[in-house]
Amino acid sequence: MLTGRQEVGLEVLVAAQEPYAVRELGWLGLLGRFIRHKPLGTFGIGVVLVLSLAAGAAPWLSRYDAEETFYKTNPAYQPGTFEPEQKLDGRSGPSWKHWFGTDQGGRDNYARVVWGARRSLGVSLGALLFAIIFGTAIGTVSGYFRGWLDMFLQRIMDCIQAFPAMLILLLLVALTEPNLVTLSMGLGFVALTGVQRIIRSAVLTAREEPHVEAARAIGCSHLRLMAVHILPNVATPIIVVFSIGLGSIILAEASLAFLGLAPIEPPSWGMMLDEGRGYMTNQPSTMLAGGLAITLAVLGFNLAGDALRDFLDPRIRLQ
Amino acid sequence: MQQYIVRRALLNVVVIFLVITAVFIGLRVTPGDFAVRQAASQVTDARTMDEAIAVVRHDLGLDRPILEQYGSFVADFFRGDLGDSFSTKQPVMAELKDRLAPSVELAILQILIAVVVAVPVGILSAVRQDTWLDYILRFFAIFWLGVPSFFVGILLLYALARWAHWSPPSPAGYQDFFGNPWVNLQAMVLPAVVGGLAVGAIIMRFLRSQLLEVLHQDYVRTAWSKGLRERTVITRHALKNALIPVLTVVGLLLATVASVNVVLEVLFNLPGLGLYVVNAIKLNDYPVVQGVVVLIATGLVFVNLLVDVAYAWLDPRIRYG
Repeated sequence: MLTGRQEVGLEVLVAAQEPYAVRELGWLGLLGRFIRHKPLGTFGIGVVLVLSLAAGAAPWLSRYDAEETFYKTNPAYQPGTFEPEQKLDGRSGPSWKHWFGTDQGGRDNYARVVWGARRSLGVSLGALLFAIIFGTAIGTVSGYFRGWLDMFLQRIMDCIQAFPAMLILLLLVALTEPNLVTLSMGLGFVALTGVQRIIRSAVLTAREEPHVEAARAIGCSHLRLMAVHILPNVATPIIVVFSIGLGSIILAEASLAFLGLAPIEPPSWGMMLDEGRGYMTNQPSTMLAGGLAITLAVLGFNLAGDALRDFLDPRIRLQ
Repeated sequence: MQQYIVRRALLNVVVIFLVITAVFIGLRVTPGDFAVRQAASQVTDARTMDEAIAVVRHDLGLDRPILEQYGSFVADFFRGDLGDSFSTKQPVMAELKDRLAPSVELAILQILIAVVVAVPVGILSAVRQDTWLDYILRFFAIFWLGVPSFFVGILLLYALARWAHWSPPSPAGYQDFFGNPWVNLQAMVLPAVVGGLAVGAIIMRFLRSQLLEVLHQDYVRTAWSKGLRERTVITRHALKNALIPVLTVVGLLLATVASVNVVLEVLFNLPGLGLYVVNAIKLNDYPVVQGVVVLIATGLVFVNLLVDVAYAWLDPRIRYG
């Protein structure tokens, strides 16, 4: 196999340049290495997988419909009279029938947590896609052209960044009755600044590479240079941004729902936390179910993102 | 330096202009939806929907020429007039003055707690790098970053009410710090601790990495080789330089603090800006929302300037040209 000295030397050199040589380890070996070196990251990825499963297969996993009520009204209760004592209490603790108990309306908390995963991940993924598409566009243009355009775009981004994200979202809610789509866009807008900065710095390095220079020398247009020659080089940062950004977007969405400012359908974890805290001293199961779901999701995405970042590209640092 | 401060201050005025303009445009990009929703809450027997919309548009001055609207909007702002609240019909500015104190107090307490906790913990974690102590401290920091502060707040409220039979004083009995510090601090302690630790986790991680970097520099090795005690090397030589970048992070974190505190004020019923603005949104009280947003933006922009100036003052290597 080893025919000449020179070839051996070259082989070693190539292997040394690739931090995690896929060819050498194989995917299984790579996975094993990840699990051994990043136990917390592995835990995070596990959480992310479970949540994705819950979101994807909510109709099959949730056992009940999220809006189905499980208490009987008092026969004497008239729908027009708003006297709670006439209505039987809907709340109950965990049981075999209702794993996480039921809430004030008699709805199954487990079903609402599972459906909440679909809402939470759906809105956050939408937001992140928005942030990544526009962030990549702005970051690429800014880093590619540099000069006054870069200056102008970056100052605007600084302004947005210096501004509390929650206030931008509150302004959005005050101006429009948000639905899930506008909410996603608002959350994406808030996340935009961080994404574009990372992309921009990756583009600044990528544009100086010899292959880009060669492409420029044979007369490629700006658009072709950016799309074909530079963008593939910033793919890794995009993956990393993707996993790190989701945690904070989920948290922001949950905060808005907690404040009662997000759409009330479909069920959301933040809303469960808010509703459950009203009667937590008697029956904490709703509050705990919502709160733990948020905590687990945010923690899971943060840990997974951190580990993936270190693994894929140790040079990138998010604040 | 003076030149720099003047230039930054002027730039800040531009930024505030941009914010006001963004708010102004925002109101007009989504006029139909907003005015209709606003009007729906004001429809009475005597008024039809169309009339109510017309009243809302008149109240907001939306029926005037657009440039005139913009001019008076900006002029009013710099005169300190943020319009009248829809729900109370009082000037927004007057109410904001009362609401500002609790919010600022909460933010100051949080930053204080964050620094008091994060600095020793960060030092310990860096100095004992890769020991079990470091791992435990870092794990707590990561944990605090991931756990939503409002959930921690609710759990604390629950635990204290259930096992210690203590709950914060009711919002109706809120007293300001100078009036009755004891009652005031009772209302403040939980949000301050919860928010402060969340911010502290970020500061601790940043301080740790800064300190590790500084500890590997030549002058620190020199200090060790002179035979100085560990305490002297760390506090006198390393810490001073490591703390400077941390200061800018604290400045940047103020925006985060303001975001988190909106939720914490609602949760703990603190009569600050956050609770005010959330209630205003629920009442469709647009002038209040706009006033709070513009006020906080203005405040933050100038606090950031202060932080940058302090940064240059503390670190002689930094010169703003």
